[in-house]
Amino acid sequence: MLDAIAVTKQFGAKRALDNVSLNVLPGEIYCLLGANGAGKTTLVNLFLNFLQPTSGSLQIGMIDVVRHPLETKRLLAYIPEQVTLYGVLSGLENLAFFSSLAIGERLPRPRLLELLEAAGLPRQAADDRVATYSKGMRQKVGIAIALAKNAKALLLDEPTSGLDPSAANEFSELLVKASNDGVAVLTTTHDLFHAKQTGTRLGIMKHGRLVEELRSEDVSHADLEALYLKHMKS
Amino acid sequence: MFAIIAAKDMRELARDGRLLWAGGLILVLLLVALAAGWNRQVQLNNERSAGQALDYDAWLHQGYRHPHDAAEQGMHVFKPEPPLGVFDPGIGPFVGSTVWLQAHRQSEVKFRPAQDATGLQRFGELSPAWLLQVLVPLLIIVIGFNSMSGERERGTLRQLLSLGVPARSLLLGKAAALASCAGVLIAPVGVGFAAFLVARLPAGERLDVVYRISWLAAGYGLYLGLFVFLTLAVSALVRSSRAALVILLGFWVAATLIAPRTASEAVNLLYPTPSRLAFDDHLSHDIAGAASKAWAAHFGARTQWDPSLPLSKWGAALKVDDAAGYGALDENFGGLWDTFERQQRAQEWVGLVAPVVALRGFSMGLAGTDFSQHRDFSTAAETQRRKIQDIVSEDLIKHADPLGNAHFTYKAGPELWASVPPFKYQLPSVSFALAHHWGSLALLAVLFCLSVALAHYALSRPLMR
Repeated sequence: MLDAIAVTKQFGAKRALDNVSLNVLPGEIYCLLGANGAGKTTLVNLFLNFLQPTSGSLQIGMIDVVRHPLETKRLLAYIPEQVTLYGVLSGLENLAFFSSLAIGERLPRPRLLELLEAAGLPRQAADDRVATYSKGMRQKVGIAIALAKNAKALLLDEPTSGLDPSAANEFSELLVKASNDGVAVLTTTHDLFHAKQTGTRLGIMKHGRLVEELRSEDVSHADLEALYLKHMKS
Repeated sequence: MFAIIAAKDMRELARDGRLLWAGGLILVLLLVALAAGWNRQVQLNNERSAGQALDYDAWLHQGYRHPHDAAEQGMHVFKPEPPLGVFDPGIGPFVGSTVWLQAHRQSEVKFRPAQDATGLQRFGELSPAWLLQVLVPLLIIVIGFNSMSGERERGTLRQLLSLGVPARSLLLGKAAALASCAGVLIAPVGVGFAAFLVARLPAGERLDVVYRISWLAAGYGLYLGLFVFLTLAVSALVRSSRAALVILLGFWVAATLIAPRTASEAVNLLYPTPSRLAFDDHLSHDIAGAASKAWAAHFGARTQWDPSLPLSKWGAALKVDDAAGYGALDENFGGLWDTFERQQRAQEWVGLVAPVVALRGFSMGLAGTDFSQHRDFSTAAETQRRKIQDIVSEDLIKHADPLGNAHFTYKAGPELWASVPPFKYQLPSVSFALAHHWGSLALLAVLFCLSVALAHYALSRPLMR
């Protein structure tokens, strides 16, 4: 569903991605690990067509991202590290707006409340202005937007960063649920524990290269940590 | 999709207070300007029609007197206020409204309202046109400068683009929101006042005013639309909202406050007008020269009012003398007015960089308060003056005393005064105004298209950099 084929991205003299290839199948949760500046977010931006690759290609559902950006975005939902919403609108109004743009129709209020509830936002907070929300609550509105879109692929850029452990766990459960529904999930993270616990496949990036790829079930928490540190120190 | 974006933007603007405060202030000013303009127009029209009726009545009832004495006294005619002068007083406050139709000489239009105003008049009159030309663009800038840059700074642009929102929908949505905000303030007041104004007019004048209002709406629509798309373009092109605000405010100050004054000074250098003293001297010299030639040709006299000319010929001499002056008057006033019109046309080119200059000319023209329509009135007044001179001179010729002894004792009566028709001035039609200002409208249309193209280009570039 999500395919990066020999992707290189150069920013002037700096090579942010170096011949990276990976694919995420429907129902898979692919966790991309790596230090800051390893190229994880650059890869996400390339899938979103916010950047164009210097060489190589990216596909979502076999459709080229650069040549058909609008079509590929229809298959995709994206949750960034900081879900940014309109502060003067309520969570429900934000969801109504973004979901209308995503699916081309305005969902009725009960359905919007249902989506927010499914994302874990307390019902009584739905009509409060987003300016009063915590980061976790905003993240949940972001998830509700993704749920409303009913996307075939999910792109997440460090989605649990800054969330409290309980909110991070709830988030992981939602990802598992989405993958069980056949959604392909690509998430970048620094959180080795949640990556091992939630991911079906893990990739480690360093200096723009994908230096390790492994199945989550083939590695223990301790082994993953050791492997990660080995790559970071080498 | 653009309607969803527009609705969200409007809701945001309504809640963040900018539209409420800035728009509310403009709405209050608009209502005050309309009320003040209406009050002024009703007062002026009442005063002028009463003045004209009284003056004509005094002409009719001046009793028995020498016709040339009556011509020397003459009468006053008053320029009617065009109905849309309420909206845009144009040059009205600066050029006067009353002409003295005296013997021998064409008078300038006098009694300029600006003469009676305080120094604050120099800051410009608070008219609905001024508000739409100067303050509404500022409102558009204030509510729209962060339309795109703010989305980028908050990170919501990333969210929007990740959903596959096309740049065109974003552009149209944002433009519709800004235009709707301005429209919500202007349209109800504009439509309401237009309906009120048209309903109070005589049936025969309504259609012309409706056409004028429609053309004005088109011109102002292009002008404000230009600011909408320019604001969006700058907001999308620059990296921060602060930079967008600084650039847009800089453009607003330069284009709406500085450029018109600079343009006015520049065209004065390009097409200089004579001082009043120089103009009067030149005119007197030309009239005297033309009269001397005419006196020599018709009567063999060496000077005007040569004592050798028998008094029995003085009626004919008055007619010849007046007619001789007509050419000099036409040439001098025509030359001066042509210079004013050349200045106006030259200023319109400044509209390329300062759209308000193009709009100002168009607005005054369609409101009936520009120079070309003032010239039309002045010409009509001068035609009436010549009609009076010709009537009284013909009467003197008809009653010429062969011996001349009774020339100064001859007195005409009410029949002669009644043969001078009352002055009735018909304001030029909308086609007259369009013929003079289509260039400004075309320029506004071109600038509007350029602003749309610039906004389209700005939003077609990669927005996430």
